[in-house]
Amino acid sequence: MKSVILAESLSKHYGKVVGVEGLDLEVEEGEAFGFLGPNGAGKTTTIRCLMGLLKPTAGRATVLGLETWAQSVGVRELVGYLPGETALYGRLTGEATIRFIANFNNHPPEDGFELASRLGLVLDRRVSGYSKGMKRKLAIVLALMKKPPVLIMDEPTNGLDPLVQLTLYDLLNEHREGGATLLFSSHNLPEVERICDRVGIIREGSLVTTERIEDLRSVRLRNVEIIFAGQVPDGLESLPGVSDLEVQAGNRVQLKLKGEIDPLIKRVARYEVADFSVGHASLEDVFLEFYGSDEGSGG
Amino acid sequence: MNWNLIRKTISDRWRGTAVYAGGLVAYVLMLAALFPSVQKVGTFKKAYMKDLPEGLIKFFNLQKFDVTSFDSYMTLQFLGLLWVIVMAAFAISFARNMVAGEIQDGTLELLLAQPVARWKVMTSEGAVLLGGIIGLVATTVVSTFAFGAAFGVKLSYSGYLAFLPLGIALAAAIAGYSVLLSAVMREPRRVAMAASGLTLFFYLLHFGGMYSKVLEKFDWFGIFHYYNPQKVLSSGGVPARDVLVLLAFAAVFFAAALLFFQRRDIAV
Repeated sequence: MKSVILAESLSKHYGKVVGVEGLDLEVEEGEAFGFLGPNGAGKTTTIRCLMGLLKPTAGRATVLGLETWAQSVGVRELVGYLPGETALYGRLTGEATIRFIANFNNHPPEDGFELASRLGLVLDRRVSGYSKGMKRKLAIVLALMKKPPVLIMDEPTNGLDPLVQLTLYDLLNEHREGGATLLFSSHNLPEVERICDRVGIIREGSLVTTERIEDLRSVRLRNVEIIFAGQVPDGLESLPGVSDLEVQAGNRVQLKLKGEIDPLIKRVARYEVADFSVGHASLEDVFLEFYGSDEGSGG
Repeated sequence: MNWNLIRKTISDRWRGTAVYAGGLVAYVLMLAALFPSVQKVGTFKKAYMKDLPEGLIKFFNLQKFDVTSFDSYMTLQFLGLLWVIVMAAFAISFARNMVAGEIQDGTLELLLAQPVARWKVMTSEGAVLLGGIIGLVATTVVSTFAFGAAFGVKLSYSGYLAFLPLGIALAAAIAGYSVLLSAVMREPRRVAMAASGLTLFFYLLHFGGMYSKVLEKFDWFGIFHYYNPQKVLSSGGVPARDVLVLLAFAAVFFAAALLFFQRRDIAV
């Protein structure tokens, strides 16, 4: 597979403050990559480096083979970008905004009007009179309307109501079916699970891990519930990978299991078991695993 | 340059520019309407000149000031100071919104997410700013001609035509460092304060040079050393050296702004 987005040892410092440090990232053609992490982790800094808005302190980044800083105009021809904060020209109407941005891209505005219609966005009003959600919808239209081969979105559902979020997921899936590559940052875990093939977890400016969504869910963390015919045996908490063990009603135990399940099964098999269920851990659990419960709620 | 951006900038700024133009026209109208009365007051010249500080007379080059001359009257009442303030206000308010204003509003991120080079963004907006300056200076000159004729005032047509490039060059120089400050700073309010402060500094440097030998040595460093409307109106000739120096000021500052903007991180 061809690499569409590539970052090699990418670093960005703001004076003494580290935005991103030594980040390596590769997103393949047609892939949807989720960039997961709380505020201040370095998601937006990475995205702005990819868009040529920030000059990397060290390392390099390319989009479709183009250097994101030195060839930023070429990159921006190929990328649809949705910033994290929606900032638009208040004096323009929605329609005028679409026309203005479409002109930069030599793209007919009609595609933008159609997208706006699907999102239920009124275009004959000045943007200054739009609600936060309407502005977000318009920003989404601006990012998608030129049908770019690469989409980079910073927290795309920020400020959208649930119904519009569903429409956006549909739009993104349609876009992907057309062969587009998608990178988006989020701290909305179900959203990442819903859209992405792979996820990168970023912490304090460094990429902690990159995993396939299925791998994260099925291999790394499990929620296990066992109902024994008799009392819960002692010593389960000492098995490798077992945590958060909770005994209920004397014969029921719930625990989290990280890593191999075999040692647990072999141990449990020594006793009479009434029920045994394994659930895939949510990304919330995965997230907390990487960040620790005291840091994971930063959003 | 990018025509899409030029069209949008004109659409954003024409109302504000029209207000400035309207103010200039109204003030010229008032001066031209009042001038015949002023001219008739025989004691005015003596009393008025007697009350003016010597330095001020030297500053405005009014040694040969004649209140019966519309050109001298225009210099003293308008082109020497008030007109400069109006043009500086226009250039600074326009420039402060170019980069710093767009960063504060967050719209620069939207703009620079489009396939347009940074230098094109700045030169497109700079071209509209220069167009506005030319328009306002032309408005001043044309309205002077029109109201001068309407009120039967005798004026130096060649002098005002020669003032055109000088006025444009002075306002362009103010715009040049204002744009640079906008490219360097984050907050438009600070840009406006710094640019106004710098303009005032140049003005006071020139004014102080009239009194102080020390300051006089540094006068060439400021833009007002090259701006003498009374001399231009009375001679009727374009002060080519002064115009070129002021345009060089503008070009150097604008080039520095371009260079800085080209390398600047855009983080809202």
